[in-house]
Amino acid sequence: MSTNVETVSVKEYFRSIWQGVSSTAKGMWITFRYVWGNKPVTIEYPEVREVLPERARMRLFNDVDNCISCNMCAITCPVDCIYISSEKRAADQEVPKTDDGTPMRQVLTQYTIDTALCCYCGLCTTVCPTECLTHSNDYEFAQYTLGDMKYDYLSDDVRAWKQRIVGKEPVYRR
Amino acid sequence: MQTWENSGEKFNPTQTAETEKLKSELLTLNMGPQHPATHGVLRVEIKTDSEVVAHAIPHIGYLHRCMEKHSENLDYRGIIPFVDRMDYLAAMNQEHTYVMAVESMLGTEVPRRAEYIRVLILELQRIASHLMAFGTYALDLGAFSPFLYAFDEREKILRLFEELSGARLLYNYIWIGGVWNDITSAQLYRVKEFCDHFEEELKKYDTLVSQNKIFRERTRHVGIMDEQMCYAYGATGPVLRGAGVKWDLRKVAPYSLYGELDFDVPVGDGDRDAMIGDCYSRYIVRMKEMTESVKIIRQILDGIESGPVIGKVPKVIKLPKGEVYMRTECPRGELGIHLVSDGGKTPYRLKVKSPCFTHTSMLPEIAPGQLIADFVASIGSIDIVLGEVDR
Repeated sequence: MSTNVETVSVKEYFRSIWQGVSSTAKGMWITFRYVWGNKPVTIEYPEVREVLPERARMRLFNDVDNCISCNMCAITCPVDCIYISSEKRAADQEVPKTDDGTPMRQVLTQYTIDTALCCYCGLCTTVCPTECLTHSNDYEFAQYTLGDMKYDYLSDDVRAWKQRIVGKEPVYRR
Repeated sequence: MQTWENSGEKFNPTQTAETEKLKSELLTLNMGPQHPATHGVLRVEIKTDSEVVAHAIPHIGYLHRCMEKHSENLDYRGIIPFVDRMDYLAAMNQEHTYVMAVESMLGTEVPRRAEYIRVLILELQRIASHLMAFGTYALDLGAFSPFLYAFDEREKILRLFEELSGARLLYNYIWIGGVWNDITSAQLYRVKEFCDHFEEELKKYDTLVSQNKIFRERTRHVGIMDEQMCYAYGATGPVLRGAGVKWDLRKVAPYSLYGELDFDVPVGDGDRDAMIGDCYSRYIVRMKEMTESVKIIRQILDGIESGPVIGKVPKVIKLPKGEVYMRTECPRGELGIHLVSDGGKTPYRLKVKSPCFTHTSMLPEIAPGQLIADFVASIGSIDIVLGEVDR
């Protein structure tokens, strides 16, 4: 503390200066050794892209062809960022089936996720019975306005992601 | 006119003829909320006389997100992402406390393997959190390279967490009844390699920072929080242990697997010319705790069993009527969660006792008489996260 004035002898004064210099030199030697033999830990981002782990929770993607409009994701979501609505299929229509054989009794009329509100907790993907809602590995989706962060998963351009995301090839490679 | 003479009883610098000449009006200075040395959005209103702090009043609330009230409208699983966001540097420990509170009311049995994974993750998180504290503390005092070395190691832990849970900081990994994903043997092997490597790194940090004379002179005899003061304010964690009190909930009231594990509780003993309860003891307690965490991780790696990672939990969680107070040892101190249920799908009340809030309230006590640079060292040494202070 500044108010405690400690009295030191001349010997101690010079010893503490010597200790300061020698211990700092020891530390600087540790830092100096980083010149050789250390692999760089950073990556040059736009040119080199990191391969994310398989479970990485990035942008949500809903494969609407497999969605049975069960509302589970919207109920579970803690921030209520999933807007889903559906209507009953007409009685004379044939009921299509998802990839795993679940009948789609409802017709999905709206499936929108406000990505700006989403907290990426992953709760919606765990309750999805047909596993159509997944976290993709996309992490570059900055937009100029908040409205652009709302994705309508029934629109054609968002549906086209399916080829990229659900396909076998990983999205980003190093 | 307010001068330092009538400003407070505590402020009493050495009275000499020179200081008598220099006495002047107090200058009010706002440190923060965007000050890099306040570790987040803490604003400290300082009244200074030249370079000496006469008063320091912390103003909090810049990161208040109404989390406690908001939880009353969420189901029990949906609260976990919000609990994560309290202490974003040690989210696993926060999750674990909340999940244990729910489990104790629900009466869920957690599988053995899940408990092992939990303790492994908690200790890794403790290392990651202390590395952050170590790095930023050195940065506060003017050393830049320890920060980079600490982040290099922390990144390895975060990478493992990302592979396990999918997120780097806000995990939602510890679930009610167990954990989300199983850990593979390849990942366990990587943890073992990390432990071997990290012990070498700790020796390096010791030479680089802990033994450095300049660092020691900056931190010793600064910001003394002694035993009586810690009891008076209710301080916990490294602040209390830095004052020489051997109190660790993992030892005193063992939860999870901690009762079966062998580890020590490091306390500040005033070696290397330090005083018990000063900034250096708090710092050295954290460094020693990392060694103990490595020791625990090694025991977990030896003893981990196979089996399921999540127990039987009802699809819709409804807690019986009642209340529970659960507390665990988080990297920053004791986190307490008071959960009151009225028998519905959502909690009736969720109250969080935050260690950082307690430690922030100790700042006005230690500030008077310090230099501003020493005050920065004091803030850094109590290692607060404002997300937990404000919630």
